[in-house]
Amino acid sequence: MPREIDNTNSATPAVTVENLTKVFKGAMGRKPLTAVSDLSFTVKRGEVYGLIGPNGCGKSTTMKVMLGLLIPSIGKATIFGRNSSEVASRHDVGFVPENPYFYKHLTGRETLHFFGKLCGLSGSDLRDRSAAMLKLTGLENAAERRVGGYSKGMLQRIGLAQALLHEPRLLILDEPTAGVDPAGSRRIRDLIMEFKERGITIVVTSHLLEQMQEVCDRVGIMSQGRMVREGRLEDLISVENQTEIILENATPEQLDKIRALISGAGGSTKLVSLGKPRTTLERLFLETTVQTGEGE
Amino acid sequence: MKSYKAFSPSRIWTIATNTLTQLLRMKILGFLVVFAIIIVAAAYAFPTMSPEQQLKQLKDWSFGVLQVFSIVIAIAATALLLPRDVEDRTLYTILSKPVPRHEYLIGKLLGVLLLIGGGLLIMDIFFCGVVWLKQWTITASNIAALQSEQNGTAENIAAMTDYIDRQGLSWNLQAGVWCVFLKAAVVTSLALLMSCVASSTLFTILVSICFTVVGHGEGLLRSYVFKSLAITWKKFLSFLLAVICPDLSLFDEVQAVIDGNAIPLSTLGQITGFALLYVVLYTSVAYLIFSEKEL
Repeated sequence: MPREIDNTNSATPAVTVENLTKVFKGAMGRKPLTAVSDLSFTVKRGEVYGLIGPNGCGKSTTMKVMLGLLIPSIGKATIFGRNSSEVASRHDVGFVPENPYFYKHLTGRETLHFFGKLCGLSGSDLRDRSAAMLKLTGLENAAERRVGGYSKGMLQRIGLAQALLHEPRLLILDEPTAGVDPAGSRRIRDLIMEFKERGITIVVTSHLLEQMQEVCDRVGIMSQGRMVREGRLEDLISVENQTEIILENATPEQLDKIRALISGAGGSTKLVSLGKPRTTLERLFLETTVQTGEGE
Repeated sequence: MKSYKAFSPSRIWTIATNTLTQLLRMKILGFLVVFAIIIVAAAYAFPTMSPEQQLKQLKDWSFGVLQVFSIVIAIAATALLLPRDVEDRTLYTILSKPVPRHEYLIGKLLGVLLLIGGGLLIMDIFFCGVVWLKQWTITASNIAALQSEQNGTAENIAAMTDYIDRQGLSWNLQAGVWCVFLKAAVVTSLALLMSCVASSTLFTILVSICFTVVGHGEGLLRSYVFKSLAITWKKFLSFLLAVICPDLSLFDEVQAVIDGNAIPLSTLGQITGFALLYVVLYTSVAYLIFSEKEL
């Protein structure tokens, strides 16, 4: 299991992106493309930060700059105070790309051993960490199978396992639930919540806004390479002049009393809606299905 | 968690061994079976030839196959690896770990060289075994023939054995195999450079083949195209050509081995030096291109 991380010691943010602009040169006389323009944000230690926006808004480009895979045209990104262009900054980072691909010829365990060795793990330390990550991601039963035969959800989970292998302080997830069925998606969401509890800083992008809402402390909304809104999730999504009350086992008489109380209160107070909350199709799906890779 | 090291031979070795495993699991060494069949055919298909010709033919065919194997693997395996890692995005996952780009490139190069070296070693062992067996069979049958003709004196047998031994198993054969490996190493580093420039496997393969063909004919090119030029220009252009495209004829010492002539140690050292120079040069240029590559 990942270690608990103490985030109280340092004021250095986990991630800073400062005035980042990335322009891709146009090939064969084509116009240059500005993917990200003057983007700035900070991710504090231990928080889950969601970067959301439509396709092509520059989320992945930003992540690649944070990982040193792209060189910024202007500005910079830092990871725990180190410039992201320094290879050493990646020692603290675990990354799960969108639709992760691994060497198909390796088994799940061999994949973790390969990436573990790249992170400096060896011997019993490597074996123990790999076993722990396989257990954490629910892939113990698929550990000796070649990755080429894994489902999309299993690929995402082995992606998470390799990202966490070296106990990084920062986890970067690019569309972690893209193309994954609801059960796999729920599992990944639960893992993110677990990592958050352990103090791992997480930067995540997703199109599934409902999921982002569940896991993120703060979000940044990008559009056309720029940050258009940023802040605490509660501040961004709460409707300030409305209040929600959910009752269990309320009788019709009690509901009538509540209605009467509201209408008698006067002023601008009014009942907007009253009805039974519904279970979701996702919850129904999760209750009736079993996930591949578990209990095989 | 261990601290980060700016240069780590163990990371390079991890990438190299993973590359080797990847290529082995692609069953690329199935080629060895083809090699074995060709060697056995070369050894036993022409029993009517003279002993010298039989052994020469065996060495000729074997070295031909060794060269084809090493060059094909050098180009195809290298061209498959890097562009495929980019296309599959496996490269993102690797480079998002604390792995400097030069370590990734050196690891890939080393992995292909391990495969070629290992393949050549297996083929060399088999080849030597067949040459030894053939040599022993020929010697035994010739001694028997001399004795049946009443000419089996110690001098005659020694002369005949010496004559066959010069064409048979010797350290010179190993020097020939080393030259084959060196040539393949140069072609591998060239293909690695091409794969950093190109964006597709097909382009890398085609351009690498072109360079390999031109590299083999560089001597001809120098003698015919540059012959009318002034000596300074001739030297400068020859040097330039040799830098851009490796002069692969430098490593063609195999014919001397087939003919039973020994390769002097100084020549072998010189060839090894040239190969090292080419490998370092092409890998360094490949790194310069790859380090700036936007992924």
